[in-house]
Amino acid sequence: MNVTRRKFIQITGASAAGLAVSSLGFDLTPIKSHAQMLKTKYAKETTTICCYCAVGCGAIVHTSKKGDGRVINIEGDPDHVISRGSLCSKGASLSQLTENDNRLLEPMHRAPYSKKWEKVSWDWALTEIAKRVKKTRDASFEHKNAKGQVVNRTTAIVSVGSAAMDNEECWIYQAMVRALGLVYVEHQARI
Amino acid sequence: MTNHWIDIGNSDCILIMGSNAAENHPISFKYVQIAQAKGAKLISVDPRFTRTSSKADFYTALRSGTDIAFLGGMIKYILDKKLYNKEYVANYTNAPFVVEKAFKFSNGVFSGYDAKNRKYNKSKWAFNMDSKGIPKMDRSLKNSRCVLQLLKKHFSRYNTKLVSKITGTPEADLVEVYKTYAATGARGKAGTIMYAMGWTQHTVGVQNIRTMAMIQLLLGNMGVAGGGVNALRGESNVQGSTDHCLLWHIWPGYLKTPRASNVSLAAYNKKWTPKSNDPLSANWWQNYPKYSVSLLKSFFGEKATKANGFGYDWLPKVDDGTDYSWLTLFDEVYKGTVKGLFAWGMNPACSGANSNKVRKGMENLDWMVNVNIFDNETGSFWKGPGMNASTIKTEVFMLPACVSVEKEGSITNSGRWMQWRYQGPKPLGNSLSDGDIIMELGLKLKEVYKEGGAFPEPILNLKWDYMTDGLYDPHKVAKEINGYFTRDVKVKGKLCKKGTLVPSFGWLQADGSTSSANWLYCHSYTEKGNMSARRSKVDAPNNIGLYPNFAWCWPVNRRIIYNRASVDLKGQPWDKKDWVVRFAGKVKNGKYVSKKWIGDVPDGGWYPQENPDGTKRKDAKYAFIMRKHGHAQIFGPGRADGPFPEHYEPLECPIEKNLMGKQRMSPVAPVYGTDADAYATCDPRFPFVCSTYRVSEHWQSGLMTRPQPWLLELQPQVFVEMSKELAKLKGIKNAERVMVSSARGSLECTAIVTKRFKPFKIAGKTVHQVGVPWNFGWRWPETGTEESANLLTPSTGDPNTRIPESKAFMVNVTKK
Amino acid sequence: MSKSFLIDTTLCTACRGCQVACKQWHDLPAEKTINRGTYENPADLSFDTYKLVRMREEVINRKLNWLFFPEQCRHCIEAPCLETAGDPGAIYKDPKTGAIIFTANTKRLNAAEIIESCPYNIPRKGPDGTLAKCDMCIDRVENGLVPACVATCPTGAMNFGNRDEMLALARKQLAVAKKKYPKAMLIDADDVSVIYLVGYEPKLYCKNAMASNAVFDITRQMALKRMIRPLTNITSRLL
Repeated sequence: MNVTRRKFIQITGASAAGLAVSSLGFDLTPIKSHAQMLKTKYAKETTTICCYCAVGCGAIVHTSKKGDGRVINIEGDPDHVISRGSLCSKGASLSQLTENDNRLLEPMHRAPYSKKWEKVSWDWALTEIAKRVKKTRDASFEHKNAKGQVVNRTTAIVSVGSAAMDNEECWIYQAMVRALGLVYVEHQARI
Repeated sequence: MTNHWIDIGNSDCILIMGSNAAENHPISFKYVQIAQAKGAKLISVDPRFTRTSSKADFYTALRSGTDIAFLGGMIKYILDKKLYNKEYVANYTNAPFVVEKAFKFSNGVFSGYDAKNRKYNKSKWAFNMDSKGIPKMDRSLKNSRCVLQLLKKHFSRYNTKLVSKITGTPEADLVEVYKTYAATGARGKAGTIMYAMGWTQHTVGVQNIRTMAMIQLLLGNMGVAGGGVNALRGESNVQGSTDHCLLWHIWPGYLKTPRASNVSLAAYNKKWTPKSNDPLSANWWQNYPKYSVSLLKSFFGEKATKANGFGYDWLPKVDDGTDYSWLTLFDEVYKGTVKGLFAWGMNPACSGANSNKVRKGMENLDWMVNVNIFDNETGSFWKGPGMNASTIKTEVFMLPACVSVEKEGSITNSGRWMQWRYQGPKPLGNSLSDGDIIMELGLKLKEVYKEGGAFPEPILNLKWDYMTDGLYDPHKVAKEINGYFTRDVKVKGKLCKKGTLVPSFGWLQADGSTSSANWLYCHSYTEKGNMSARRSKVDAPNNIGLYPNFAWCWPVNRRIIYNRASVDLKGQPWDKKDWVVRFAGKVKNGKYVSKKWIGDVPDGGWYPQENPDGTKRKDAKYAFIMRKHGHAQIFGPGRADGPFPEHYEPLECPIEKNLMGKQRMSPVAPVYGTDADAYATCDPRFPFVCSTYRVSEHWQSGLMTRPQPWLLELQPQVFVEMSKELAKLKGIKNAERVMVSSARGSLECTAIVTKRFKPFKIAGKTVHQVGVPWNFGWRWPETGTEESANLLTPSTGDPNTRIPESKAFMVNVTKK
Repeated sequence: MSKSFLIDTTLCTACRGCQVACKQWHDLPAEKTINRGTYENPADLSFDTYKLVRMREEVINRKLNWLFFPEQCRHCIEAPCLETAGDPGAIYKDPKTGAIIFTANTKRLNAAEIIESCPYNIPRKGPDGTLAKCDMCIDRVENGLVPACVATCPTGAMNFGNRDEMLALARKQLAVAKKKYPKAMLIDADDVSVIYLVGYEPKLYCKNAMASNAVFDITRQMALKRMIRPLTNITSRLL
């Protein structure tokens, strides 16, 4: 990472290891030791761009180098020339988007007429999806339209998404669906 | 955005209309307030008083769906008072072009209208051409058939009295806005517009924006610092996903999706490459074949050869004159012609207009693949409200995507800045990056087609080598997007080695010797490295916040596009202080003798049109290089609904008659005919105007904010905002739960009774307006009680874009 | 040098980045809320909410205003809560920054009395009787960073720095604000480390935007009383 910037991690005065910051204020022992250790002190720092609106604000992600390697803090990047460290309520909640109990963590499958989800493996899911695509595509593929013009397409499979993907992902995604012959290819920009 | 976020701080007058920047683009307000601190005026025009309005120097309201009337009145004001920049208008816009006599406007429609097919014959709107095939121009702007004179005539009806009757805005407020904004027509002054879906989501969406673009051209505000037409895009990468064209009608880099009538690559290139006979027109799109062939080389790599038309035949074609956009797509899903749906990082069950129709349609699918971070109303539609899972056949695969901080890659912001992001933690649980899922699925598809099937060539030949050590590698794709030399080739007198990255799109070729997956991004990842990862905080010499070495922006790192209109004919800036580019070539005997531009990357590096002594140069180019004729289009003959904007009422509106003309609604707006497509205009059952919008604390359909307790704490429930007057009329108390219903659906909301909405006086009649945010859905919060406002919105939209009319439709509000 | 905030409400857009950034940095849980017919939420400060943006719709001179006020502890220069507690192990003033810090030991205090003593009605009691409020992000400040709410603010509404700098900025911003808001004023600038700049009467923004002078007079009397208390008494209550 090529980050030319600030002294964010060069913290001065951090001492008194073992003092824990709690939501209660401070557990102070001894009382006169005010210097607190930042929760971000030993974290890996990476820069990111907020995933919500298109202002493109910069943020710093602090990831624990120990244990589960999860996010411990995300805050505005003071060296970002647009946002200068600012984040709105959504941007300020990025860590809760990441470390969220509601996240999907496994591929899931809902069989026809079923009332529930079932956990499946990635390999099974992708293999089965490829089979469904092939079956539908092969059954619906149009080499020529009603006028006899070559069209090489299917209108039985459609795709919506996604502005939530990175540029590089968008490109390979559109390449994949267009290679399949999809013409109904749409996303957020249309709505 | 033609300009970019930081540049808003350079403005002298900021009009926020059709957007709510303080709430939906909160950090942009940093620059709004920087401008205000320097004396700029902020004008907020919105049906309701918002957090944006709270910081405005002047606020006024208009009824949803009447922006063209409001802005048309401003055009009349500017023309009547001659407040436009005449030199700019006469030289950089098509105001001097002479229009053929066949162009007319009467009875509320333009000439060429075919009422049976609800379509225009645009050949009636042609320019008068000279013997060389160049449009005839009268730079004095006096010819009665020149665009400026036709514009005067067209908007002569838009007097403030009539505009006020339509919009509900007091006449004095109209004049105050017109006067304040039109003051930016003075040389050296810049006005900017910040708009968003408040303008696009109408049956006249494109013309809303055109009206403002025309104002910007009249005032000389295009290309200058603190000016431009600025669409505040709503998603972190909706600019990039649009650039890479996840849209039916365009291919990466805004190339056209081939029509069935484009029977070969040659026919395709011929059809879509514009021709100009004017030696002064750069006509940049003449390079089209270089971009299309380079794109095909990226699609199919070595398999794309000259002999096979670079694989052109392998890619799908759309039927001429047929629409494949979102509303039509879900119309087909509803009708049952679609068997498989990919909903990739999208939540159409909440984000699609008339979402009852969308949800019901999903029952007709054989299968759906839903890729997301959280379970959503789309993937779980079969267990949503009113659904009976045991009768729904649709098989659903729900795949867990990781979040953005768990992967690496780039996104492009609204100001066209491509910015690189790094991986913090690894993907949580068994989630994967979209890139990994796409690569793996692509490999599976290649595998199943190895054994044959319908037309396997495009799948098998698709270049798919974007992995390193078995994992998706965003750098490999980013380099492909930039493009490579595919063989040793001499370009511009320089030997370019096979496998090296193309320096910029000026080097792309139409013979297969270059690849570029998106010509607009050619220059973003070169032999010098990944331009989007740059972090320099050093500004350019003109000191207007361009930061040319921070990230990268398209095209070729030009931070303000159309910037050659920021200078006069001699190449010297209108604004001496906040200048964007200036010509700094050497002068000898009153003539420029060397070429040099300073400041931003100029919009083409040609000589200015005039020498310092006022003589014309033959080696110059007009300012608007992307236009065929080199001039910005005040007269826009390419639009589906007319070359000039005209006020039409929304499809669903509160008044029987359009006070501006005989045609009530857009004569070419699309409508759909299934049993789920009800429309009700001037219907006493639905007496109130409604608009959907967003809140600062949630994002889009809310899927990436509703599962977050901190954000749910701030905005826990869907609400309907209404005036105290309406609440009294309906006996509704603040904070009580009420029902909002339209011809298509209904939802329960909490009433917010507020001073921020006021009833309108429209043609002497009181008209109430309400608003509902569309950030909610039944899956989150887990109470299941909060639903999407898109249950109410109609399946109609703009005739050019088919963006749905979610900002103006009719509802009723009743006590529960 | 002690630290101060300047909160220029004339620049606040109520994006509420500060409200979330506060929870984010302090790992505070969200509260279960309902829409109360307003955007403002939660309804009040709490043991889990140290910062709350108040939002009020007021018609002033026949013009509608939406007034925003990011409410938080003022870190009083002579803090009545501290004086009332008389227990440096529970409430103390950080000598370097001037931050008024509540510790876990606040649970041994009479919570009602402490809350009552606050001229701005800020401290809130947790389930076990512990008191909580804004801690000036003292861990960040000690380490050269600004508080989370200040770092995240886009518009310059939230400012933080050495007291003399903030006072100078307050004077400057007041002069700017007066052009648009002739009645603009600074609230209790001499008595607090969190100085609010408001465009209109403080009470329009928030019930407890301003302290009554009487409260600080009582505080000063109380402080004097504490000073003459035997020294041993204090040290015995340190831990």
